[in-house]
Amino acid sequence: MPRRELISGPNFSGRSAALMALLRDAAFAAKTFYVGPYSEAALSGLTSSIADEVDLYRAKSTDNPASPGRAVFAPIDVAAFGRREPQTLSGGEQVLLALHCFSLSAFPALAIDTALEQLDPANRDAALDYLDPRNGLGLGADVALIDNRLPPPLAGWTARERTADTTAFDCDPEKVVAALAPRQAPAIAIRNLTFGYRHGRTIFRNVDLALAGGTAYRLAGPNGAGKTTLLKLLVGVLAPNAGELLLGDAPYRPWRHGNRAIALATQNPDHQWSGATLRDDLARRRAAFAHLVGGDAFAESRLVKLAAALGAKSLDTHLYELPLAARKRLSWLWPLAGALPWAVLDEPSLGQDPATRVGLAAAIARLTALGHGVLFVTHDDDFAARIPHRVLAIGEMQVKEAP
Amino acid sequence: MTPNGAFTVGFILIALSVAEPGPRGAAVLVALALAFAVIEVGGASLIALKRAAIVVLPLALFMSLVWVGLVGEAPYQIAADIVGTRTAALVYVAKLSGRLFFVVAVIQLVFLRFADLTPLQLVRALALPAPVKRMLAITLSLIGTLRHAIDRAHIALIASGTLTRAPSWRNAVHSWRLIQAVWLSAVTILIGRMRDKWPVEGTMARLDGALDRGKSRVFAGADRIWLPITLAAGCAILLADLAWKR
Repeated sequence: MPRRELISGPNFSGRSAALMALLRDAAFAAKTFYVGPYSEAALSGLTSSIADEVDLYRAKSTDNPASPGRAVFAPIDVAAFGRREPQTLSGGEQVLLALHCFSLSAFPALAIDTALEQLDPANRDAALDYLDPRNGLGLGADVALIDNRLPPPLAGWTARERTADTTAFDCDPEKVVAALAPRQAPAIAIRNLTFGYRHGRTIFRNVDLALAGGTAYRLAGPNGAGKTTLLKLLVGVLAPNAGELLLGDAPYRPWRHGNRAIALATQNPDHQWSGATLRDDLARRRAAFAHLVGGDAFAESRLVKLAAALGAKSLDTHLYELPLAARKRLSWLWPLAGALPWAVLDEPSLGQDPATRVGLAAAIARLTALGHGVLFVTHDDDFAARIPHRVLAIGEMQVKEAP
Repeated sequence: MTPNGAFTVGFILIALSVAEPGPRGAAVLVALALAFAVIEVGGASLIALKRAAIVVLPLALFMSLVWVGLVGEAPYQIAADIVGTRTAALVYVAKLSGRLFFVVAVIQLVFLRFADLTPLQLVRALALPAPVKRMLAITLSLIGTLRHAIDRAHIALIASGTLTRAPSWRNAVHSWRLIQAVWLSAVTILIGRMRDKWPVEGTMARLDGALDRGKSRVFAGADRIWLPITLAAGCAILLADLAWKR
């Protein structure tokens, strides 16, 4: 009988290590398909196209004759994406591609380390249903899963509860909230914005949108709809094909003159460091924005206090020596510091345990109440429900405020 | 035509062009490359020419500026300590640029010949020893990793206000930070894969298996026409060159 193991517990309780230990357990299947938290550990990294990624994992006739005919998991049209590089998919789409590859493979086991948290509700339900031992699909594989949004018990799954074994990276939500400072954010207006990737489909067509300061907006939409693309346009990483942005009443072209309004926390925290240590990172940001804002937002003592409240005991630790969940928490530092009027957070609660998610939601709510503009992307409804917000729905090349 | 055949034809053409053939030899090489383009690649050959122009034109302009504009004589004239002319410098730059254009265009044509294959399928179709195929596949994936790292570093540095997307003085001043960030990103991406994903799955062994699937033929089909013609042309060019030098 295939095993289903749900490893739960708070961050830093050794869940990932327990998952790896389980995979080495003789009772668990010998070879495991692994889907890590981000693309670097979800996809193989050995292929240059999506078709090749599928090809790499597709079962050979001689692979595992004992368990043929596994049901194929295909919530996205992989064939339509065939020539694209795997890295060009959104985070959620990469997880879906990884699960699709597993479903075509003959791996007798599957391990997922928090990756399902990147999926939109429909895809997440489809994935969990696919893994459900009671679904009658006859997956024929052992599955080990870490997921912060699935409280045990889960029917059909064996729970392995972990308890925190360190307080080294503890986040103190009350101190985080206390460290936030007031600021009046100017409104952002998007006018007639059109964008499409080169040789790709159009993502946005003639989008008009007004974002008021002192308000939190949740950007919602299915995996691959263009949520992160919109954030990249606002920050100036991408330039629109047509249309304009206004910051307050003035034209704002971050793609030409640089970002000067938005503090971005990326979905994968490792996409946002501009230095090897937190001190380097903050020093570069302070140097880049010093001409725009002054005073308290840049005071080192305040940043140190906020970093400590987010779990950083020292600013000189190499960022990549910290656990992923700790890096994710530190990725919130810059938006919460309030040096720039708008905080934009892409899946901020990813990989975080329930207590930390509650604390972060309180901090974002407070930041908004203090006058900052906040735009966040999340598939975590419980987290979003804790923040008074308006919903911006992405779909059919439009971004519209939902009623 | 097999990938082995196309790459061999391409290699011979490039090797002959680098051997500095005379005008007749160069004409034969261009004729062969054009025939290959028309017969084997078709309309997509224009893409090869466009890409070659994109690579070579800036270099040709720079060389013209240096040799014709500033120096005013060709390198061989300087080496021989004779009076140089701008015309000779222009001919020198034209020859060098023409040769470079030819090399880039031939490489593009060979790859475009197999544009219907994915990178993995192309490597798989090559009749080469398994370690060489593995090395090729990993090299291709490293290019992808570097592109991913560049994307990551761009996001980080533009969002943090260090760089701008458009050309700017800020970019010139902080370009070394981009290099540093790309390098750090590439290393951490690779470590991320090698620490968890690859050992758990035995991903490298899967790559070997994936490259080993299907039949790969050394030479077959149209190779039997192209290779003799190219080799014969090569011999003729070399012999004519030898005779001319005597």
